[in-house]
Amino acid sequence: MITIAHLHVHLLSFDLIDICLHIEANEFFTLIGPTGAGKTVLLEAIAGLTPVQKGQIIIQNRNVTSLTPEKRGVSILYQDHALFPHLSVINNITYGLRYHPIDEKRARQRIQELIELLNLSHLLKRLPAHLSGGEKQRVGLARALAVEPQVLLLDEPFSALDPNFKADIRNSLKSLHQNSTATFLMVTHDFADALSLADRSAVIHQGRIEQSGKIEDIFEKPVSPFVADFVGMKNLFPAVLNGTVASLGSLKIKLSQKPSDHSRSIAIRPEEIILTKNPSSSGSWNVFKGSVAKIIPQGFIYEIHVDVGHIIFKAMVGKNTLFQLGLTEGSDVYISFRPEAVHSL
Amino acid sequence: MKLQTIKIREPFFWFTVSCSAIILAFILIPLIELMTAPSADVLLETLKDRDVVRSIWLSIYTSGSAALISFFFGTPLAFMLARSEFRGKRFIESIIDLPIVIPHPVIGIAILSVAGKNHLLGRWMEALGIRIMGSPTGIITVLTFVGLPFYINAVKDGFEGIPQRLENVSRSLGASMFSTFFRITFPLAWRSMVVGFIMCGARAISEFGAVVIVAYHPMIAPVMIYERFESYGLKYSQPIAVWLVAICLLLFFLLRWVALSKPREA
Amino acid sequence: MMTKLMIKKVCIVLLLLVAFQLPIIAGAEPSGKLVMFHAGSLSVPFEAMEKNFEKMYPKVDLQREGSGSQQAARKITDLKKPCDIMASADYTVIDKLLIPAAAEMNIRFATNQLVLCYTERSKYAAEVNANNWYEILQRKGVVWGHSDPNLDPCGYRSLMVIQLAEKYHKIPGLYDKVIANRPKENIRPKSVELISLLQTGNMDYAWEYRSVAVQHKLRYVVLPDEINLGNYKHDKFYEQAKVQVTGKKPGTFMTMTGGSVTYGITLIKNTPNREAAIAFLKYVLDPKGGLKVLDEMGQPPFVPCRVPTAAMKDLLPNELQKFVEVKN
Repeated sequence: MITIAHLHVHLLSFDLIDICLHIEANEFFTLIGPTGAGKTVLLEAIAGLTPVQKGQIIIQNRNVTSLTPEKRGVSILYQDHALFPHLSVINNITYGLRYHPIDEKRARQRIQELIELLNLSHLLKRLPAHLSGGEKQRVGLARALAVEPQVLLLDEPFSALDPNFKADIRNSLKSLHQNSTATFLMVTHDFADALSLADRSAVIHQGRIEQSGKIEDIFEKPVSPFVADFVGMKNLFPAVLNGTVASLGSLKIKLSQKPSDHSRSIAIRPEEIILTKNPSSSGSWNVFKGSVAKIIPQGFIYEIHVDVGHIIFKAMVGKNTLFQLGLTEGSDVYISFRPEAVHSL
Repeated sequence: MKLQTIKIREPFFWFTVSCSAIILAFILIPLIELMTAPSADVLLETLKDRDVVRSIWLSIYTSGSAALISFFFGTPLAFMLARSEFRGKRFIESIIDLPIVIPHPVIGIAILSVAGKNHLLGRWMEALGIRIMGSPTGIITVLTFVGLPFYINAVKDGFEGIPQRLENVSRSLGASMFSTFFRITFPLAWRSMVVGFIMCGARAISEFGAVVIVAYHPMIAPVMIYERFESYGLKYSQPIAVWLVAICLLLFFLLRWVALSKPREA
Repeated sequence: MMTKLMIKKVCIVLLLLVAFQLPIIAGAEPSGKLVMFHAGSLSVPFEAMEKNFEKMYPKVDLQREGSGSQQAARKITDLKKPCDIMASADYTVIDKLLIPAAAEMNIRFATNQLVLCYTERSKYAAEVNANNWYEILQRKGVVWGHSDPNLDPCGYRSLMVIQLAEKYHKIPGLYDKVIANRPKENIRPKSVELISLLQTGNMDYAWEYRSVAVQHKLRYVVLPDEINLGNYKHDKFYEQAKVQVTGKKPGTFMTMTGGSVTYGITLIKNTPNREAAIAFLKYVLDPKGGLKVLDEMGQPPFVPCRVPTAAMKDLLPNELQKFVEVKN
């Protein structure tokens, strides 16, 4: 369990301002934000590798703010794994054991479990220079978990990896987490990773926490335009809100519930916008006619920009749908979306 | 059939080759002349001269001590400079480089002024029975002064080449800073320490101007070479010079071989 | 772009510049470089003389090198360094090491005496005097030194003073006892180096010429005329002191016998700049010129200067004849 209370970190080139977070024991928590938002700085502050100016860090009811790193029980796995280049894989993994009063039999058992779980048995005598990126990461994980830490910090574990293997590594991480009593705190700039792994998350931007809570809440109910944009809510419009109707230019959009008083904008996820050749008949839905302004290929899906009364709505469709609808730039199309899909902030 | 690379030569290439040749000649010609001037039996005669042997040994001993002192005291400082950022760091780095820019006789005079009874430090040293003027202690003091910046800069570069993240991970796994230094930093940095040791020792063993002011006797080899030259001429000083150069080259090639050999498999 | 015309113009300008740098040999005015090796104890008076002389003859550049007198002689004979004039703290060095190969004259021009210098910080500074110095120098913890007898007359003269003290105060074995408290580290090639050691407090007592002590404002013990090598009337007594030093060639030795301190100056044979050298000697030997400077700086000159024999006087250049008398 980690509590961070009003933490301020002031570095020559960067500041963390008034960070407050609460993470439950044995939780898988992700810290999401763009590059340069301060994620690594926060991790290092928790680990005790960066001095803090104000605030407190409490781990498992112990105030560790003034403790040296080796006394905190916090393991860190860096993006580039930082394996000790002069030690073999097995020596890397067992490096920290001598500093922890773990019973020898239990330690050996634990190491053996980790090695099997991470498929490292055939690599034990190798030097880090002769390992692939994925292998290095697995060794790093084993090393960090061998000492049974209270907290495991992961700094962007997926960015240095082949996207094809991402699914495998995600699964390994998931099973490691279930297998361990440690609290996992992972930092990433990719929201999809957070979605698949985390229980709860926080979004950090320019040294401040913008929003924290359950991952679904962040995904569906972003509290600020930045978070909305970050979680992929591409249809973000300032609007006049009156009761359950939002006025957007000449468009009247139905909402499912009355928005809060200080809401100024509405946002809709692109996946929620359905494109049809003919207007859909569902009465409660919002249906508008527009024309295709742009078609942007995004790998296996397409982002379609639809001009409705000079307002651009962005929708996502698969290749099949694109062909079926015969969409080209300039062609007419109907967009429709549920009132529940409109989020006000 | 052996394949030959088709060489593409342009004017810029010839220009760099000529400059390199000039520089190599500039360094090698005087040294080759020196090493081949005395005949073999004169060289052997010189070795029998007890004063010569003693002075060469004194040179090796005092410069080795200076390098060792630099190692013990310079390593922590170099580590701090490599790892920390703080106000005034540039200033401290400039201070460490001072001995390089101060003229050598000035260094000797400065050290003598502190070592005498007119200075508080000199009076303390006298009370402790430490003598600087005309003693090996004084020579080692001077040599450490001139050699320190070479050691510290070499080792600082070595430490800077080791990512701090490795030390961070070690500490997160439970190791204290001392433990981390000995298990992680030192095994990765020891080659730069050897290089620093060589640079410091090389600088020390060739020092003359500062030493001759602090201690004429006991004579280190450069002072003896100078004294023989001034009193009796080139013929009598060359053999000692040859032996000193030969021994220096031997020591330094030895250490470089150790430092540059490829690291073995764990 | 350098056209052919531009290149020609540049060359002409460069040639003219070079031509203006060439020394113009005109008339009989002394000019050019004048090299002098001299004893360290003459550094201060000769620096003053250099300034005066260069004012008189602005075209002459006098370059001096101070060192022990034997070392200066060796620079001329062994190292073959070019030199016009040599001045020694002991005229016998010129006789023994320079005549006849490198010089044919030897003009004695000044005297001096040895004193024991110290500073207010020296050990037992409040106590020391002419009656107890030889006992104080023996005390443990007292750091005292002298210059190298093989390179500097002040060195062997210091040893002679101690030998004479043994005879004068009638204490057999005194010399050995005193020397026993002077390790090799306390010897320096030039006696003036000992001054900085005294001034920084690295040495308590050092042997120097009285003139040097005065010029550097040091305290000193004045010794009885019988032992301070300063009074030619006691030459017979001085002869009792003998010190062995290295000779002309390494491995050989020669014996220096005690005598009153007499400085000698000579013109080196086949000097590069004879005209300027003679002009300088004329200035040095002039009672209103160099000799006056010496007197003002605590170094009693001979007025007039002396050569030992009439034969040597004949060898002197004409310009110098009137400044020298024959006296042994």
